[in-house]
Amino acid sequence: MAPALFKKKRSNEVEASGALSRSLHVLPALSEEKYPKLPDSPQVTLAHELTTDLLTSDTRTAGHSFSSASVSLSHSSSFSPDSSRLRVPPFISEALNDRGSFHSSQSSPTVARDGQPESNDVSWTMDTSDAPPPHRDVVPSDDSARKTDWREWADQLVTPDDTLDLNLSDLLVDVNVPDLDAKLLELPPNFATYQPQIQERHLLTVSTAQTLPAVASPCPSPATKARMRWTPELHEVFSEAVTKLGGGERATPKGVLKLMNVEGLTIYHVKSHLQKYRTARHKPESSEGTPEKKTRNLAETAPLDLKTAMEITEALRLQMEVQKQLHDQLEIQRNLQLRIEEQGKHLELMFEQQRKMEEDKQNASSSNRGDNSPSPTAETQPCVGKTDAESSAKVASPLEHSEKESSEDHEANAGGESSPPTKRAKTEETEDSPKKSIDVTI
Amino acid sequence: MKFGKRLKQQMDQSLGEWRDKFLSYKELKKMVNLISSKGALEYDAQFMNLLDHEIDKFNAFFIEQEEDFIIRHKELQERISQVIHKWGPQPSHMEYKEEMTNIRKQIVNFHGEMVLLINYSNINYTGLGKILKKYEKRTGGVLRVHFIERVWEQPFFTTDLISKLVKDCETTIEMLPPSTATGIFHEEEAPKAIFRNSVAALLSMQEMRRGSSTYSQFSLPPLNLPDFELIQSLQLISPIQIHHV
Repeated sequence: MAPALFKKKRSNEVEASGALSRSLHVLPALSEEKYPKLPDSPQVTLAHELTTDLLTSDTRTAGHSFSSASVSLSHSSSFSPDSSRLRVPPFISEALNDRGSFHSSQSSPTVARDGQPESNDVSWTMDTSDAPPPHRDVVPSDDSARKTDWREWADQLVTPDDTLDLNLSDLLVDVNVPDLDAKLLELPPNFATYQPQIQERHLLTVSTAQTLPAVASPCPSPATKARMRWTPELHEVFSEAVTKLGGGERATPKGVLKLMNVEGLTIYHVKSHLQKYRTARHKPESSEGTPEKKTRNLAETAPLDLKTAMEITEALRLQMEVQKQLHDQLEIQRNLQLRIEEQGKHLELMFEQQRKMEEDKQNASSSNRGDNSPSPTAETQPCVGKTDAESSAKVASPLEHSEKESSEDHEANAGGESSPPTKRAKTEETEDSPKKSIDVTI
Repeated sequence: MKFGKRLKQQMDQSLGEWRDKFLSYKELKKMVNLISSKGALEYDAQFMNLLDHEIDKFNAFFIEQEEDFIIRHKELQERISQVIHKWGPQPSHMEYKEEMTNIRKQIVNFHGEMVLLINYSNINYTGLGKILKKYEKRTGGVLRVHFIERVWEQPFFTTDLISKLVKDCETTIEMLPPSTATGIFHEEEAPKAIFRNSVAALLSMQEMRRGSSTYSQFSLPPLNLPDFELIQSLQLISPIQIHHV
């Protein structure tokens, strides 16, 4: 299925790893704050732990970057949940699974798959994935070849690049990219919807052409876009490279790319960034007018009187105040929203535990006495519920699967009707130290 | 429909290119209503697709803006140090003051735009949450929590860097030599729009949290803005008139 363009080469993988360590030297280690991560309120941190527990036991859940409290905000390639969780006929999800792993794996180079711990902090980019979820090892070697094919192909596009000027028509070259993208993948437009989450968003492939504003992609591109995300550090590297090459006007994308020597960065990224850079440099000068114009204005017009000067200052100050407030409120709101979600989960867990506890009691009593009195969803006190939950959890543990969706199922059936024994919320954590279960349930 | 109206207001007040980058709330709502509660998957795929598409839209726009902000931030820093070095020795020089005023203006507007981007992120997130809530109500599906957690991972939601740049602006402007504003103050469209938009955003946030008919454990508490009356009055009067000769 691969066009003749493609040559299967493994060497890129080796290059990739080598270049990565080089690039890590180039860039200062990213401190955590460059990494988008959730705010560190106690509740949220707690939630991290909680979700970690939930997630690590769910081997089928891929790509939850939430699983590492430290970093990672993996940018999900597809936005929809696991196909298993949708009401999708099994045969479709299976087929999609296969494609899914290809599709998303093609969006990242082998670097991440080396499982280097640095992959967390990596690079210059942004959406790096976190601790590799188990499935990663499952990615067939096929995909890695195909993955390197992408990079190969991108490189090939780059090499004849010597004479490309930086102008829009060059950017339009990229239009071909998505074409090839879609053709090779042969995916139906809505395929991406059912894709399982597999996340390796380290580096970008040619699909980053999508990020270039000038490109109008004529074909349906998969919803999974590995996006290049610039950081101040990376920009710093860029800036230095440009300066070394004689400034914004004289530097060429290829030169900058080479000089930056950052793994995974493509000439497309550099091109578009350079363009923005040039625009940013020219604009301020024009909006303020040329120096001559300024002095002429000054000479022509009387200096502003004190009152007006004060008004300006006041206006700016007021504007700043409003903006600050908005910013603060947004932060607060966001934290609240996150906490609310976490609380919601805790509540569900509590319900689930109580429901289970009731069920176990019911089972126990029915086996003892042979009657089948339905137990009400009792509003037992949390303290009592806890200890009982622990013991009942131990009893029932063989039956337990820790599947996240069960707790969500019960979100809808808050009444706690009996459900198949296999669908139990994860209560393994209650078997841990009582302290922990206290944290969890309350 | 309260959110829908507020969203539309925000969009109308938005800086030009932002307008079509917001959540297609109405469309999503319509789609949810089409979705059957009986398990038929007819419209589910469409719905999912649209959600995916929206997320991509947000991400693309957000990342573009973020990139621009990073570049501008650095340029601003450089410009500041240039101006200070050039005229620092004689801070009373006319041109210096003028430059400084301009820089101040630039910082404030830059700050404003970034905050608006964060607002953009938040509004879309809120809208998504509401849509998913509706979906869940209709289908009892397990989509919502899962989806929201995915959203948390998305670039458009991870606004930490922008927040940092915002705080940076605040620090920078405080560190500038005290302002003796002079010079020509060019009235431009952009700063006014930014200001207007920020005011609208603040008020809008307050409105949205005033008290929902579907108040639940997932609802946010009411927002009490410290300078509520002042801010409200800002919205009513025309933008602050700056005389320039």
